[in-house]
Amino acid sequence: MQRSDRRSVFWSPAGRIVPLIVICLIWQAVSAAKLVDPSFLPSPVRVGYAMYDLLAGREIRDNLLVTLARAAIGLVLGSAAGIWLGLMMARSERFRAYAAPIVGGTYSLPKSALIPLLILWFGIGTATTVCAVFLACLLPMVVNTSQGVASTPRVLVWGAEALGTRPREMLLRVFLPHALPDIFTGLRVALGFSFVLAISSEMIAATNGIGKLIFMYGENGAYDYMFAAIGCVVVVAFLADRLLLVLTGKCLRWHESTVSQVAS
Amino acid sequence: MRAVTDNKAGNSQTEIPKVQIQGLSKSYPGDKSPVLALRAVDISIAEGEFVSIVGPSGCGKSTLLYVLGGFLTADGKVLVDGKAIEGPGTDRGVVFQEYALFPWLTVRNNILYGLERGPLPPDERARITDRLIGVIGLKGFEDRYPRELSGGMKQRVAIARTLACDPAILLLDEPFGALDAQTREVMQDELLRIWLETRKTVLMITHDVSEAVYLSNRICVMSARPGQIVDEFKIDLDRTIPREQLFTSDAFNKTRNEVWISVRREALAAEKLNAKV
Amino acid sequence: MENTANKRALQIRSVISVLTIVVLWEAVARAGLASPLFLPAFTTVLAEWWTVCADGSLPSDLLTSLFRAFAGLFAATVVGVLLGIAMARSRLVHWMFDPVIALAFPSPKIAFLPIFILWFGIYSISKILLVAFACVFPIVIGTYAAASAVNRVWIWSAYSLGTSNLALLFRVVLPAAWPRIFAALRVALPVSLVTTFTAEMVGGGGGMGATLMYSQRFFESPTVFAYILTMLVVGLVLDAMMLKIQQAFPAWHGNV
Repeated sequence: MQRSDRRSVFWSPAGRIVPLIVICLIWQAVSAAKLVDPSFLPSPVRVGYAMYDLLAGREIRDNLLVTLARAAIGLVLGSAAGIWLGLMMARSERFRAYAAPIVGGTYSLPKSALIPLLILWFGIGTATTVCAVFLACLLPMVVNTSQGVASTPRVLVWGAEALGTRPREMLLRVFLPHALPDIFTGLRVALGFSFVLAISSEMIAATNGIGKLIFMYGENGAYDYMFAAIGCVVVVAFLADRLLLVLTGKCLRWHESTVSQVAS
Repeated sequence: MRAVTDNKAGNSQTEIPKVQIQGLSKSYPGDKSPVLALRAVDISIAEGEFVSIVGPSGCGKSTLLYVLGGFLTADGKVLVDGKAIEGPGTDRGVVFQEYALFPWLTVRNNILYGLERGPLPPDERARITDRLIGVIGLKGFEDRYPRELSGGMKQRVAIARTLACDPAILLLDEPFGALDAQTREVMQDELLRIWLETRKTVLMITHDVSEAVYLSNRICVMSARPGQIVDEFKIDLDRTIPREQLFTSDAFNKTRNEVWISVRREALAAEKLNAKV
Repeated sequence: MENTANKRALQIRSVISVLTIVVLWEAVARAGLASPLFLPAFTTVLAEWWTVCADGSLPSDLLTSLFRAFAGLFAATVVGVLLGIAMARSRLVHWMFDPVIALAFPSPKIAFLPIFILWFGIYSISKILLVAFACVFPIVIGTYAAASAVNRVWIWSAYSLGTSNLALLFRVVLPAAWPRIFAALRVALPVSLVTTFTAEMVGGGGGMGATLMYSQRFFESPTVFAYILTMLVVGLVLDAMMLKIQQAFPAWHGNV
């Protein structure tokens, strides 16, 4: 949307980091000038040391991997189930008629509210986290998949029929490919949810995981480590999102609006 | 309004017409009461004929094509080679105005799609695909996606995709309606060339009267809704002469004017109908 | 064509679906197929719900949570809309804030809760600010997209008629961008509720989430279910209200 001829350097990846660097500099200046209590806001240097320490040590790596594994399992299972449900809803009138109110109803329920219930059922641990992520990822996938399938133009279906596509092939050959862009949109939302639910459930009650780690650092007063751990989460979430965008671009090379959304 | 039943066999080789439609009626559920789109339509198409149906917008001409394609059910008889049709089939290829191609497949794979369901071995399929890509003049574009193609190129691929299955009948639903004027002319020439080569039986829906006169050997004029065939014209032009000569010839323009007047009459009637509703 | 007959059918189906679930739930619980700890009977939950309503604990918790959620949402709206418009009008502002937004948008905002607790304690203010932080992102992004898309012709016409910049904001940009901004608000509402409840669950300090965790710790299953159901209903009601508001103030122009 911008006329980026003269100003293109500002928008290059290097250019876009500048504001972040500026923020770090301001942060450092504020800390150095002792404008705030250093226990409330450790200087970037100390946080940097802490981050280095964490990355070198095993603690953050192990915990991060645990959290990512839980999020990933829940995401994959939830997305698969959501896609299947969405396909069913779009293809069968009766299924949709009865499933739609339930789907619509659960939209308003914050899935993290189910975490205490899950703890009641499964106790503290991986099962609870994976279940929470699973439930959270279901809805965006159901909605987007069903939308993607339902929006298939009928002439596309008819064309496929005229070319000899059998009814049982339609799903895989026509509806699923057509729904792919919507499915990827849903995946991006589900990815975000998976991080939120994983960390939420670990913060609420867990024995390990990065959510628990952050919470522990906070309780023990190791604030520079706390900031560092949070920073790691931010970076990982950002990278995961970018990775998905790249994957989306590759799988949707054929799609008209393949330019991935940058600022959203 | 004369309801015309045409029992003349075009090429007088086959006794049964390729396509027979008798007493076709189709209604849709509407807001307040069912809407009758077609009423007791009778059409026969002989093998190798190129029939165009023209008429005002919304008169049901596309509906007729959809029923013949097997996508919609209706009351009345629809026979191909004397047998009732049972849904869509590869014997009746279709080219739609838009969304004709699978956007997620390349040009080559779009054309291969129908072939993959057939009995032919892979190398034969590849050969046919390559030949068709040559026929439509898109060599070098085999691995492009539809989004990279212009409107005219997309419709070429759509035609090739349909031809790949070697259907006996071609159903064209305003195939060039979404194209600009220049591209449309090029595509008409292409279609004429392909038809003269393959001599398929063709039913084309169009609202461009000149296009219908240029391409078809028979034109049916449909009335406003509920659609009925109200007029028919046999076209007998010398299509070997160049387009410029043909379009400026007296024979062409006389026929075109006759058809146009007939269509215009129906279009005005349709306007009155819409004004009332 | 959707008409009243379809809507009626949809409502009936919704009711049937919900009733089926409730009946199944009650049947399974009563049949002893699940321990009352895991699945208290629906009627038990209902009774407990009534109790906590009557003694005031649920309403007070609900009010606390809603207050926090709305305060945070309000703050996020003010900041978000202003920032979004500023970003749309000034390329410098856009350049300054875009990387921060792009970096933080995908991250789970709940991870920042410990920072807010550290700075602002465990009671309402930290949660309000966390909610604001979480909600500001969709609002800024939505407003930016909407404000950027405001038809240049309208803006130029207004300029040429002598409209000042501030008036331009209120009389051209905001009305034109309103539908998309409101859509972003509708997205932000559930975010505000989730963030509030989760923050209360993690950090305590009163509210629905805190009581929910408390009940779970003491294995008071009916209370847990009652609170979750309340959250569900509240979410539904609020979303329905937002929909009504959206329909009451439709876009006055054809398409944005």
